[in-house]
Amino acid sequence: MNLSCIIVEDLQVATNYLIKCCEKSKLVEVKGHFTNVPDALSFVNENTVDLIFLDVEMPGPNGFELLDQIAFLPKIILTTSKKEYAYDAFEYKVTDFLKKPFSYERFLEAMQKVQAAPGVAPGAAGGDTETSSDHIYIKSEGKLVRLSNDSILFMESMGDYVKFVTADKKYITHNTIKNLEDKVNKQHFLKVHRSYIVNLHKIDDLRENCLFIKGAEIPVSKAFKSIVISRLNII
Amino acid sequence: MNQSFADKTFVFNEHINTQYIIDLYSGDYGMIEETFADVLNEYASLLENINAAYQVEDIGALKKAIHKIKPLFGFTGFTSIQSQCLQFENACEATPSFHLLVNEFTLLQNSLIQTRSIIEEEKERLALFNSR
Repeated sequence: MNLSCIIVEDLQVATNYLIKCCEKSKLVEVKGHFTNVPDALSFVNENTVDLIFLDVEMPGPNGFELLDQIAFLPKIILTTSKKEYAYDAFEYKVTDFLKKPFSYERFLEAMQKVQAAPGVAPGAAGGDTETSSDHIYIKSEGKLVRLSNDSILFMESMGDYVKFVTADKKYITHNTIKNLEDKVNKQHFLKVHRSYIVNLHKIDDLRENCLFIKGAEIPVSKAFKSIVISRLNII
Repeated sequence: MNQSFADKTFVFNEHINTQYIIDLYSGDYGMIEETFADVLNEYASLLENINAAYQVEDIGALKKAIHKIKPLFGFTGFTSIQSQCLQFENACEATPSFHLLVNEFTLLQNSLIQTRSIIEEEKERLALFNSR
């Protein structure tokens, strides 16, 4: 047993089935199971797990909203009865997608994918030289463009692309927020939402669920809000 | 939970898709029995939700309640009932009037009641089979 997981699923039969699969495989230990997103979120904000088996449609917020709000990202296996969510699953870069009910053999395949996937180091500060640099280079419009950290207001996800917004120009580059999160200078930049990284030094004001930079409204996920506040120079 | 029994074969009720269910559980009859019991534990409340939505003629709630019970039939090998549920969900989506759903609902409701009895019987037979 080398992995830990939680199950977020509102159908008890499906939860019990998953627990049986986990126990039978001896590959993963179930640390908890929850029938709604808020309860699961409370748990994962206090405890680290390697894997979440996540249903999509539940009473209240859906499974994707958990992914929007979670402060770190363990591996995710979506478990749903609707194929229609496959596209969203792809967008959220989940490790696997199990259509309920799935066979035990299919469960084992998913576990193999989890084991083969690159490890996620939740909250890792990142030690490569890029993160302490005062600038970055991005590929845009067929050339490498140098952007000083100070010139970047924020970065916004556009699917497989990221828009870098500066005071006077916008650059679009083939990248993801998830990838950039580990590569940008953490003294300057902070992920505040699944789709946004902002320059902390450029925030004009912070409100309930959003912040503003030069007039642009940027959503702030609940799970990141306390981190944003802790990084601001509040007197 | 038992390992699969190469030397034991359980003959399921004719309404259950045997190949499907054997594949789903890799022939683990203990796991099948436990899941049938889990299904029965949830069945009554899910059926109540369906009836409550029907009584108040709330098509959205009815569709949701049918959607909610549907996976139970996947776990128990009633693939035809699963399809019937899906068909009814689609009918809920398409109908201009609640009253046009009445006949189809009556058929589905009868299927749901009959299916519960079969699951109860199969669960008992599986318990006996697994205890041998």
